[in-house]
Amino acid sequence: MARDPKHDILFQPIKIGPKTLRNRFYQVPHCIGAGSDKPGFQAAHRSIKAEGGWAGINTEYCSIHPESDDTHRLSARIWDEGDVRNLRAMTDHIHKFDALAGVELWYGGSHAPCMESRSTPRGPSQYASEFETLTYCKEMDFDDIAMVQQYYVDAALRSRDAGFDIIYVYGAHSYLPLQFLSPYYNKRKDKYGGSLENRARFWLETLEKVRHAVGKECAIATRFAVDTLYGDAGIEIERDGMKFIEMADPLVDLWDVDVGDIAEWGEDAGPARFYQQGHQVPWTRFVKQVSKKPVLGVGRFTDPEKMTEIVTKGIADIIGAARPSISDPWLPKKIEEGRYDDIRVCIGCNVCISRWEIGGPPMICTQNATAGEEYRRGWHPEKFPKHGSDDSVLVVGAGPSGAECARVLLERGYAVHLYDTAAKIGGHLNSVVTLPGLGEWGYHRDYRELQINKLVKKNKASQVALGQKPLTAESALTYGAEKIVIATGSSWNTDGTNCLTHDPIPGANAALPDQLTPEQVLGGKKIIGKRVVILNADTYFMAPSLAEKLQLAGHEVTLVSGVHLANYMHFTLEYPNLMRRMHELKIKEIHNAFASRVEIGRLEVYDIWGDGSKRSYRGPGVLPREANKSHRWVEFDSLILVTGRHSHNGLYTELKSRSVEWTKNGVKDVYLIGDAEAPRLIADATFSGHRLAREIEEKSAQFPLPYKRETAVWGTAHMPGGRFEIEYKT
Amino acid sequence: MKILVAVKQVAALDEDFKIRADGRDIDADYLIRDLNEWDDFSLEEAMRIKEAANTPGDIEVVAVSVGPASVDESLRKCLAKGADRALRVWDDAIEYSDPIAIARVLAAVTMREAPDMLFAGVQSSDHSFASTGIATAAFLNWPHAAVVNMLNYTPGAKTAVLRRELEGGLLQELELQCPAVLTIQLGINTPRYASLRSIKQAAAKPIEMLSLADLHLVANDVGESGSSSRVRRMYLPEKGRAQLIEGDVATKARRLAEIIKEFRGQT
Repeated sequence: MARDPKHDILFQPIKIGPKTLRNRFYQVPHCIGAGSDKPGFQAAHRSIKAEGGWAGINTEYCSIHPESDDTHRLSARIWDEGDVRNLRAMTDHIHKFDALAGVELWYGGSHAPCMESRSTPRGPSQYASEFETLTYCKEMDFDDIAMVQQYYVDAALRSRDAGFDIIYVYGAHSYLPLQFLSPYYNKRKDKYGGSLENRARFWLETLEKVRHAVGKECAIATRFAVDTLYGDAGIEIERDGMKFIEMADPLVDLWDVDVGDIAEWGEDAGPARFYQQGHQVPWTRFVKQVSKKPVLGVGRFTDPEKMTEIVTKGIADIIGAARPSISDPWLPKKIEEGRYDDIRVCIGCNVCISRWEIGGPPMICTQNATAGEEYRRGWHPEKFPKHGSDDSVLVVGAGPSGAECARVLLERGYAVHLYDTAAKIGGHLNSVVTLPGLGEWGYHRDYRELQINKLVKKNKASQVALGQKPLTAESALTYGAEKIVIATGSSWNTDGTNCLTHDPIPGANAALPDQLTPEQVLGGKKIIGKRVVILNADTYFMAPSLAEKLQLAGHEVTLVSGVHLANYMHFTLEYPNLMRRMHELKIKEIHNAFASRVEIGRLEVYDIWGDGSKRSYRGPGVLPREANKSHRWVEFDSLILVTGRHSHNGLYTELKSRSVEWTKNGVKDVYLIGDAEAPRLIADATFSGHRLAREIEEKSAQFPLPYKRETAVWGTAHMPGGRFEIEYKT
Repeated sequence: MKILVAVKQVAALDEDFKIRADGRDIDADYLIRDLNEWDDFSLEEAMRIKEAANTPGDIEVVAVSVGPASVDESLRKCLAKGADRALRVWDDAIEYSDPIAIARVLAAVTMREAPDMLFAGVQSSDHSFASTGIATAAFLNWPHAAVVNMLNYTPGAKTAVLRRELEGGLLQELELQCPAVLTIQLGINTPRYASLRSIKQAAAKPIEMLSLADLHLVANDVGESGSSSRVRRMYLPEKGRAQLIEGDVATKARRLAEIIKEFRGQT
């Protein structure tokens, strides 16, 4: 199919300085956990997007010098020739697909803790980072300023040598140039502080120097947070924002604009729970009023209609995307070919981002299980190896894991029967999406549902059997499949079993009328009283989401949490606005507290740290601390147990115990995937289904094949021509 | 005892398609074929009657279809779901048959098989004539009922009680003499899925072939010569005839009046 002509504008080339982007799709810099140390990962992940039609593709933030070392997080680095060699793999592979490669030159100031290099970061003034713990910078004198500006120039020259076409001076997310520009950080009284002209000086000089060094060969871009969202304590778009753009406009070839800072960068990478596609438009729309240069804007753009509107209305010239490009590296190609239904839409869960926040393990994606696996497992997001046998596969359970497994098996040409008791593909996601703000998570289900239904039409031996009776081991064995995949999911514990005591809580029982599991709440069949207590030992979204849902419905909710409530949502950048939401809804929280027993209408609560701080040996059967005497009763009309989950693996266990009957029934192997194997993130459940489908011909396909590792190799120096041996300077 | 279920392999449009060179149908290369959705329900209804009987082994469910070899795939689907036998009628002369000609063939098969009941879908999802089943009843001169959404029938019984969907949300319950022809509506039951085992077993089962001669028919009974209608052309209607009238109420009204006049040829 051809694309709709109304989207033609997205495919018009656009000139940026000495370079030309072949269309308007542009992967803005975003972290993946590759940096300069995993060149294969970096090259494959970025170039798969070039193959998928993105015209410009960037590194993540790329440190220009050991003084800007973000360890424990993982940035790219272009400190020396060793980094140049490794990053060249990325530019070479991107260039094969007629796309431009960009590098985002980064100096963090006090937001770079320098835990590896042990250098001292420098900044416009001395301040403690609001993002890091215990990191101060040194206030720069004029010599320091000249020196750090030269770091940018040297890094730009190395970037040019590494084959980069677009060179950024990165000033969004509160990094150095913005620290000079913003009065929030810059308290100087000399020519680099005070008036806007003075505060802009560092950034403008740096752009000038970088432009002078590489501007003839490379396009110069700058990433600018046009509004830091602090009012007049920082940058406001209609004041300093637009004026700075006018001042810097002659020095840049491309404006890459966003909003917000680093400590709350979820205001930029807005999670779907709070922000919809295009959420930055009210700010970014001002940029083109003052700039004569190409402008790119971001805001989780996934819909070609919206993208077209952004360009035709003159809000931006180029569609910037990070998350949508991870979720679907072939987004531009699918639009170009008119395959709109095949777009794997980003759900805005920010699990990709969570990995950077955790400290740099390889990025994962809930929608795209191949993200981060391109190089090390050789997984292409859109191309699959043909089936390796004629075995037919029964997949029991059509949740995230089972549906993904079935989809990939079908793509590979296997005969697949996907079987579920529910009337709809999606598993537990079908109820999760009814929680406040999580509607877009349903795209995960929709993508698989649509693809599976298409594939089943073309693969006549396959079918999707929904609304079925629970499958017994006997009927699974005699179903006629050579391979059986069990993806029966998990559910919330009904007896209070939790990660703190690893035991049930006496009296906890969701079969009673006044106690509920999250599934029972979402099922809507059990009456919920006015005063609701949610007992929480889970660190993700369920407890706060239920609290919000029920408080909105008129209940009085108290959260009792024995773990850091919503801790994982720090990593997904949902935490700040979630806390604001809890606050504005007046949801009560008793934190650092858990429950010792439940009686009708009341919960015995104790403080986690209520036992004695002094530890001494007191003999067997006696705790080594003073007993916890903080116990007291909290009353409820309904108690919701968000204490932990357990796998539904009964079918698997029974099939396993009847393995002697496999051969006579023609069954070759039985597998366990997703939450049925162990409860986990939707992203990881999806991955486990995808992984099995890719490797199902292997002898022990239940267990993953080894992947290609990228590590430093003993005997090889990082620096070309360098030395690797242990050498003491004595 | 026997229930004959007439099924059709229907065509669905692929994502992209072209009209055939003669302009009378879709180019077959762009079609995805599958068993007609209604037929899942009529087969299921036959299977339920069989399974509910005291001696299910005495009741035979036979699927029949008129079409070329590619139709075997849909008949195997019926076998996989439990049909005891499958019949396929074909002769090149049957090509271009309309529902009346197909009904003539199905009536001949029915005479040969002598079932206690003939089921067909209310309509096919591709051509939607909704006439093959009822036309077959006409050739057979059997009692018939269309759009059946509830059926109470015991094999061998002289009558069946059934419910039909009428316009305006009305239902009609009637008692009908057997043998009869019923066209079965979606939703009368929940069709079963075939297991992989039964799909594999069905792949090995024979499909009985019937020629025109087997049915005592001649070439003129079928195809265009045996049909009462002929497709003249198939086409996509012109798009883009809607237009948004902008301006204040008076402007809009004036423009609307102009359009009406243009449409009536008054300008």
